[in-house]
Amino acid sequence: MAGVSAARLRTIFALFAVLSIVLSARVVYWQTVARGDLLERARGQVLSDEVVPAQRGTIRDRNGAILAATVELRSLYAIPGRIKDKPTVARSLGVLLGRDAGPILERLTSGAEWTFIQRRLPETAADAIAALRLDGLGFIKEPKRLYPNDDLAAHALGFVSDDGSGQGGVEGWYDEVLRGVNGTLVVERDPADRSIALGLREAVAPRHGADLTLTIDLAIQTSAERELRATIERERAASGAIVVLDPRDGAVRAMASYPTFHPAAVAIADPAAMRDRVVAQPYEPGSVMKAVTMAAGLDTGVVTPSTWYEDRGYADIGGRRLLNALGRAWGPTTMTQVLERSANAGAVFVASKLGAQRLNDAIHAFGFGERTRVDVAGEASGVVRPLAEWYPVDVGTASFGQGLTATPLQLACAYAAVANGGVLYRPYVVAAWRDADGEHRTAPAAVRRVASERTAATLSEMLVSAVDNGLAQGARLPGFSVAGKTGTAQIPSPDGRYVDDEYISTFAGFFPAVDPTFVVVIVLERPTSKLLGTSAAMTTFRAVAQDTLRYARIQPDRKP
Amino acid sequence: MPARARAKTHRRSAVQAATWELRSFLGASAAIAVAFVLALAYLASSTGVATAGYEAQRLEAQRDELRRQNTLLELQLATLDSPARIEAEAKRLGLVRLPFITVVPAVPLTARR
Repeated sequence: MAGVSAARLRTIFALFAVLSIVLSARVVYWQTVARGDLLERARGQVLSDEVVPAQRGTIRDRNGAILAATVELRSLYAIPGRIKDKPTVARSLGVLLGRDAGPILERLTSGAEWTFIQRRLPETAADAIAALRLDGLGFIKEPKRLYPNDDLAAHALGFVSDDGSGQGGVEGWYDEVLRGVNGTLVVERDPADRSIALGLREAVAPRHGADLTLTIDLAIQTSAERELRATIERERAASGAIVVLDPRDGAVRAMASYPTFHPAAVAIADPAAMRDRVVAQPYEPGSVMKAVTMAAGLDTGVVTPSTWYEDRGYADIGGRRLLNALGRAWGPTTMTQVLERSANAGAVFVASKLGAQRLNDAIHAFGFGERTRVDVAGEASGVVRPLAEWYPVDVGTASFGQGLTATPLQLACAYAAVANGGVLYRPYVVAAWRDADGEHRTAPAAVRRVASERTAATLSEMLVSAVDNGLAQGARLPGFSVAGKTGTAQIPSPDGRYVDDEYISTFAGFFPAVDPTFVVVIVLERPTSKLLGTSAAMTTFRAVAQDTLRYARIQPDRKP
Repeated sequence: MPARARAKTHRRSAVQAATWELRSFLGASAAIAVAFVLALAYLASSTGVATAGYEAQRLEAQRDELRRQNTLLELQLATLDSPARIEAEAKRLGLVRLPFITVVPAVPLTARR
């Protein structure tokens, strides 16, 4: 100590003192001012803050058969740095996944630290890969919407996009109900990523999506789609649609649209095939509209079934001459025969007696020109021009379904109103949904009365006669009374004229006519058959109706 | 005081002192033992809770997996029950549709009597 001067000792002491003060100040700083930050960092190392996804609801048909359900499938990922023999692993995976090994090897050698090999694997493939116990490979579970009936009812169901949102059909309309609300989970985890039982645990449980029960019947839907597909392929038609409705409350039993798509593979679907032709594609309805014109005529009392006129094969109105199909003159024709023969001149006769205002009112009252408010996404309203925009000739053309457009569902609703005694119902596809609060059932909604019961009954009889004695005989069913009407509409070209030799074939009908249980509307676009273009639609109607009657075990109301 | 009495008093004091020390020792030992037992009990309880927590997690994972498997089986069942699949299978087996099904009228039996 003799060699160390007092001044040097003091200096060293001072240095230590300053250092101590600085360190103390730093400790005080971290323990007071920045304490929260430190705590946050410490918690961050052990805390796991995760979203607990809500399970999307299941969609079932009216009998409980699953139409769409979400299930977690395993997605295969790789950590290439941990894989020693990449070519061998790529070959093994290629065999098990049924893929070329080349792209898999490319992923493994891409330099990425972590990469997906394939997402949402089939269970058999995932099990086989898991059994290999290869280093550097692992699984995470990801939700996938599955459709056990493949493309059946694809348009009615809609689909779920990659971000989990519902698009089209009931998936789109009921997206908020189906998707539920995600929960959260904050827990402390140990180094093995297990939550610590005595650690922090803050959980908000997810609210899973509601399960939907549709009004659609899988058996009727299958029949409708089978017959529609067969007819379109046989007729080489461009597209088509079928809707089956319960006229007593507006419940949709089937809605088929063709061409179609697979809701689990929308990425490779043709956009035109994804259009729902039942609700989103308005057509010119043609002569099926004569039933609406006749309903207005009967309801206002301007005609009765036995009212007759002299049919000369045409009608002059607004300075234009409107012809019957094939220009045929029928001579003295009653109103019942107007529907049997589908005489355009007869529809114009009724419309002339009604006048533009009452005809327009009737068309709107039956729901044309406005959405039916059915609970599927993407519905079109069709076009019925305002009365102020009508030319005098429009009274004539509208009476037999030209110059306006309607969706097959609108037509079905209008015919359902005739079938049920004159009440227009809002059609619906979801019968009930069940969530944590219980079951919520859809109440059938009557929109308005569009005709008196007497008018509806009279018109039903006239439509039965159209099938029994008229051009719609192709729709007769052995043992059952059928009320129905054919329709053939020309297709307008972009320049406003009608296209030659191309038309839309429609049939709308209900059965058994004495106590109607089903309304069926068929629309075929550009079929190749002749006979006023409606034979294919009637054949399809008959096939669907026979299947439906058998399935519903409805007793015949006539002798076969 | 005679020497004998003094010795007796001294012996008594020594015994009293020894008893006190023994009591203190026993008391301290007992306290340590109780504390040790309590500590062991706490540790055992904590370990038990932690183990139960891990077991609960394992069971939760097992439950979730069983639910997933159940959903997959339900979907498989729905696929097998699909009318389109059954129709295709019937067609493959050469079955055909009946052209007409006779329906027995639902006349109440009592009405016939």
